[in-house]
Amino acid sequence: MSNFWRELRACSCGLLALLFFTVGLIPLDAADGLREIQRRGLLLWGADAEGGAPYVYPDPQKPEQLIGFEYDLADALAAKLGVKARMVQNQWDQLVPALERGNFDIILNGLELTPENQRRIAMSQPYFVYAQQIVTRRETDGLTGMTDLKGKPVGVLSSSVAERLLEQIGGVDLRHYPGNVESLRDLKAKRIEAVLMDLPIALHYAQPDPALKFSGAPFAPGYYGIGVRKQDALLLAALNQAIQDLAADHTLERIYRKYGVWDERQARLKDYRAETVVAQKSVSTLREWPKYLPLLLRGAVTTVELSVLAMALAVIAGLFVVLVRLYAVAPLNWLAKAYVEVIRGTPLLIQLFLLYYGLPEIGIRLNAFCAAILGLGLNYAASEAENYRAGIQAIPRGQTEAALALGMSRWQTLRHVVLPQALRVVIPPVTNDFIAMFKDSSIVSVITMVELTKVYGMLAMSTYDYIGLGLMTAGIYFALSYPASLFANWLEGRLSHDHR
Amino acid sequence: MITVENLVKSYNSTRVLHGVCHAQQRGEAVVLIGPSGCGKSTFLRCLNQLETPDSGRITIDGVTIDCGHPPGTNHERELQRQLRLRAGMVFQAFNLFPHLTALENIVAAPTVVKGLPRSEAEARARELLGKVGLEGRAQAYPAQLSGGQQQRVAIARALAMEPQVMLFDEPTSALDPELKDEVLRVMRQLAEEGMTMLVVTHEMQFARDIADRVLFFEGGRVAESGTPEQIFSAPQQERTREFLRKATVR
Repeated sequence: MSNFWRELRACSCGLLALLFFTVGLIPLDAADGLREIQRRGLLLWGADAEGGAPYVYPDPQKPEQLIGFEYDLADALAAKLGVKARMVQNQWDQLVPALERGNFDIILNGLELTPENQRRIAMSQPYFVYAQQIVTRRETDGLTGMTDLKGKPVGVLSSSVAERLLEQIGGVDLRHYPGNVESLRDLKAKRIEAVLMDLPIALHYAQPDPALKFSGAPFAPGYYGIGVRKQDALLLAALNQAIQDLAADHTLERIYRKYGVWDERQARLKDYRAETVVAQKSVSTLREWPKYLPLLLRGAVTTVELSVLAMALAVIAGLFVVLVRLYAVAPLNWLAKAYVEVIRGTPLLIQLFLLYYGLPEIGIRLNAFCAAILGLGLNYAASEAENYRAGIQAIPRGQTEAALALGMSRWQTLRHVVLPQALRVVIPPVTNDFIAMFKDSSIVSVITMVELTKVYGMLAMSTYDYIGLGLMTAGIYFALSYPASLFANWLEGRLSHDHR
Repeated sequence: MITVENLVKSYNSTRVLHGVCHAQQRGEAVVLIGPSGCGKSTFLRCLNQLETPDSGRITIDGVTIDCGHPPGTNHERELQRQLRLRAGMVFQAFNLFPHLTALENIVAAPTVVKGLPRSEAEARARELLGKVGLEGRAQAYPAQLSGGQQQRVAIARALAMEPQVMLFDEPTSALDPELKDEVLRVMRQLAEEGMTMLVVTHEMQFARDIADRVLFFEGGRVAESGTPEQIFSAPQQERTREFLRKATVR
């Protein structure tokens, strides 16, 4: 299902937690996480292994085994705490909310020491110094600094420091990717001109690729720290001690060298001085709605454009598919049937990935908008074809016979007798699909489309107000889909009055 | 007007027509009678190609089709269409188009198939509605009409294509007794006007009244044929006698 539902669920859980907070049923700060970890003998650390090299990723030689410098680091840290480490897979841009929900004990996954993160959760002292690196295609010249990127399509990882840096300088045509592999792939497919990413990622994925190069020197160094829930003060202290110990006995250096990410910058780890961060003012996006609503509405416009165009494609392509399936000669009708079955039997997500990332490898390069419309449209075409088929087959055979007996051709029979009657049968399921499309369209954020749910996700990530924004976003979705269902009811009533 | 030679039709392995032959003059009204499942409806449906016969040859008003396979080429399809244009069909279940008014039901085929201008088609449709006694119901939808009225619209709809032959497939079987008469009256009038008609029916009195010739169908063959007097008063075959006895008792 879509991000939207996942996030709504996160949101409702947040609501519950809030309730317990206010009522005081659960004294959240009574037990420290450290005691719990030691009791169960297991440190649960949250990370995203999807495209996660060199941090944590499946060993190419032994894919069931995870490796990475953070994987080794987690083992080393756990050993210092006297326990074992176990990784918990979680989408990277959702790590902070997942930590707060208690899915795992710590975040150890390139989480930057930024004021935003430190307001929300507690962060350990740094264990790694990263920098930003611009990556371009080998033949590209001149894009060596951030200001060179203005006006260019540039890929970044969603809610990364790279994204924030480019948003601050402004004027960059930003494309938000859910992972690092996808952005580099689009760079090679010439959909974007550059990617700004953390240096370790660039070292692992971009440097070995002959088609890509590092453009300019690394800049904007920063620190990765371990994310801990605010109330787990003992755990935080223990982790800080462990990091100091691992630095002192050169375990860190050994691990980083093993994965090729050791550089002279790591010496700065010693210089780190914790800054006091002003406690987070809780943002109420509902109270400040004039600031947020327009941003959400802009996302909603994209959602509407996508849904309407994709549905138009689905309605027309579905008709074509069903006509071929029901009336064409042998090999063609089989193809139409196969199309319906294959499309319905495979996930939309995979279809989008194939369209967007797969097609460029055979020389067909669609931009994200076209790929989104094509993906959604062709996917829904299969269900529309099935709706039509049910509608057409619901028309009694006598209708066709009467038309044929009057001398109509097959096509005239279809056009003047069968389809007009099938239309009435088909309107309710097609409208349902249209309303479902509004919500399903949120899935196209995986191919860098910024639509309503993606805007919600990005705003929620920066304000941490999942509830207020969630209510606003849900309200917009409802305001879009409810009129559609009213219209369908009206149309259905209008078309069927002559039947009885 | 109609010539049928050796028409054979099977469903899967069951043969329902065993080489039926039939010849009919222009203006002749022929009634098919016989027990259920004897093949008379199938015979009618083969005539305008709603069923594809296994073999045989059908000629209607100079259009000849050699049967044996569904039309494959454009020429064969055009031939089939020409045949259907010459033979109007009235169904047991009326089969009016429920999404169209009575008038639109009649106008549809002439405008779509023949490209007749709408105004002309409508004028002709109103004329036909008058002929079947329904001038007031032009704007009614089929669901708003009684069965008898629907069947009369269906007859008008078939007539609008100006067929040379009218095929009636048990046109009153789905009607209550009091509604049958209004349909039979229209058919009787058509016969009197000299329309070439081929009627499958269980209405024996009607057959006796209007038929120039009666065919008794039995087991996929024409078992007996003759004038109404011959068939109804002096049937030659034992089967015919038995059928008529049952039919009149009922």
